[in-house]
Amino acid sequence: MRLTRPTALLFIAPALILFILFTVYPAVSGLWLSFTDARGALAGDFIGIENYVKAFTDPKAAAALQNTIVFTVISVVLQNALALALARWMYSHTRLQGFARVGTLVPAMMATVAVAYIWSYIYSPITGPLNTLLRAVGLDGAAKIWLGDPTTALAAIAVVNVWMFTGYAATIYLSGFLSIPSTIFEAAAIDGARGWKLFRSVEWPLLAPAFTVNLTLSTIGALRVFDLILLMTKGGPGFSTESISYVIFNESFGKLNYGYGSSLAVILLILTVIVSFILTTVLRRREVEW
Amino acid sequence: MVTTSASGLRRRPRVRPLRLVSGILLVIVTLIILLPVFYMLVSSVRTTADLGENPLGFPDPIAWGNYGDVFASLDYGRAIFNTALVALSSVALVVVTGSAAGWAIARHIRGWTKATYRLFIAGLTIPVFVLTTPLYLLMHTLHLLDTYLAAILVYASFNLPFAILFYVSFLRSIPQELEDAAAIDGCGPLKTFWHVVFPLLRPATATIAIFVTLSIWNDVVVPLLFLTSGGVRTVTLSVFQFVGTQNSIAAAQLFPAVVLAAAPLIVLFIIFQRQIIGGITAGIGKS
Repeated sequence: MRLTRPTALLFIAPALILFILFTVYPAVSGLWLSFTDARGALAGDFIGIENYVKAFTDPKAAAALQNTIVFTVISVVLQNALALALARWMYSHTRLQGFARVGTLVPAMMATVAVAYIWSYIYSPITGPLNTLLRAVGLDGAAKIWLGDPTTALAAIAVVNVWMFTGYAATIYLSGFLSIPSTIFEAAAIDGARGWKLFRSVEWPLLAPAFTVNLTLSTIGALRVFDLILLMTKGGPGFSTESISYVIFNESFGKLNYGYGSSLAVILLILTVIVSFILTTVLRRREVEW
Repeated sequence: MVTTSASGLRRRPRVRPLRLVSGILLVIVTLIILLPVFYMLVSSVRTTADLGENPLGFPDPIAWGNYGDVFASLDYGRAIFNTALVALSSVALVVVTGSAAGWAIARHIRGWTKATYRLFIAGLTIPVFVLTTPLYLLMHTLHLLDTYLAAILVYASFNLPFAILFYVSFLRSIPQELEDAAAIDGCGPLKTFWHVVFPLLRPATATIAIFVTLSIWNDVVVPLLFLTSGGVRTVTLSVFQFVGTQNSIAAAQLFPAVVLAAAPLIVLFIIFQRQIIGGITAGIGKS
C-alpha cells in the first residue's frame, strides 16, 4: 500500500486537529498569558517578563521549588533503591514472582484519591494506626502529627508516593533482569562472579535501559507532583508542602492570577525539559558505552 | 536459578534453607506493602467508635451499613456511569484518530510526517498546568464547561502523543506485506486500514485503551476544572468533594468511600494484569 500525500494527510488530520486545538493552541496561549497580567475574566495586557521577575523573587515560589526538589530526591532515591532490591529478590524466586509482582503493583492501580485518604488516616495523630503501632511497641517518642508538622509532612507525602510506585518500578527492573540472556550468567558463574560482584559487574550494567526508564519516569512524575498534595495537606501546614504544580494551581484557579500562574507553569515546563534531557543524555550514553 | 551444573550441585544443600527463608520473607514483604489495602477493606466495615477505640483491630460488629449511606452520598451509580462514559469515549477517540495518524506516519515517511510525529512526541513533555488555564478559558468560550465533551476532548488530546508513539513503534516492528497484498486485491486506503491494519494493531490498541482508562480514572485535575457539577462528576471528584469538603469526616464514611473509589480500578487490574504488566514493561525486555 503506497499512501499518497493527500491520503496520508487525511489519515493524520483528525488527530492533528484534535492535538492542535486542545494541546498546541493552549500551550502557545499559555506561553502568551505568562507575559501578561491576565486575571480571571480580564484579558490582561502584555507586561514583558514581569511575571518571571516576580517568580524569581517570590519567596513562595522559591519555597515551592525547594519543596519540589526535596520531594523529588526522596521519591526517586527511595523508590529506585527499593524497587531494584525488590526486583532482584523477585528474580531469584521464579515461583513467587507472579504473586509478588501483582501484589506490589496494586498500590499503583488504586485511585490516587483512595491512596491519599487511606494514608491521611494512617498518619492521623490520635487514632491513626501508625502512631498506635509506634506506641504499642514502646516508641511513644516517635509518634508524630505526621501531616501537621512542617518538618515531617513533605517526607510523609513522599513516602506515600514511594509506596504507590515502587511496585511499578520493580516491574520494569524485573523485566530488565529477565531480559539478560542466561548464557551471560553461565559465563559469569564460570568466572566465579557471585553475589555483590555479580550484581555490580554483570547485572547492573545490563539493567541500564530499565534504569533509564525508571529514573526518567520517577523524576518527571515527582517534579510535577500535585494530586497527593492537594488531597493530603493542601500545601500545608504553612507552605511546607506546596509544590510548584500546587502553587500554579492555587495562583491560577484559587487567586485567578492567570498570568503569573502561567509563568510558573512555563518555568516548570523548562525545568522538566532540562532535567529529562540531562537524564536521557547521561543515561543513554551509559547504555551505549557498555 | 541459572547457575546449575557442577557448582549448583555442590552448593545446593548449603543454600536451600536460606532460599526458603528468603522466599518466605518476600511473601511477607509483599503482604506488608499490601497492608494499607487490607486496612482499608477491614476498616470500611467498622463503626467509627469501634475504629477509634482499637485502631488496629478487626470489625466488631461488622457494619455493612456503612456502604449504604456512602453509596447514596457519593451518588455512586451516577459517578461510575459518568467516569465510564468519559473514559470509553476518550479511549474511542484516541484509538481511532491515533491509529489512523500512526499508520500514515509510519508508512508515509516524508519530511512533513516526521515533523508531525515530532510535534506529537513533544506533547509528552508538557506539564498539564501549562495547558489548564488556556483550556479553561477555551471551554468557557465554547460553553463546554461542565460537559462530558470538554473532558473527552481534553483527555483525547492529552493521550494522543502516547498513543501515536505506541502505534508508530508497533507498526515499525511489523512488515508491510499484508497491506501491500490488500492493495493488490484492490482495497483502497480506507478499506486497507479498517480491514487489515486496524485488526493488526489490536495488541497495541488493548494496551493504549487500558492505560488511558487507568489514567482517566485516576485523574483529579481535569474533573476539578471541567466536570464540577453534580450531574457530570466522576468518581474521583465525587469522593474528593465528599471527603474534602467536610472538616472532619467520620471514619465509617471515609473508608467505604475510599474502597468505592479504588474498587473499579483494582477490578480492571485483576482482569487485565497480563496486558498491564506487558504495557509497563514495553520496550525494556520480556515481561
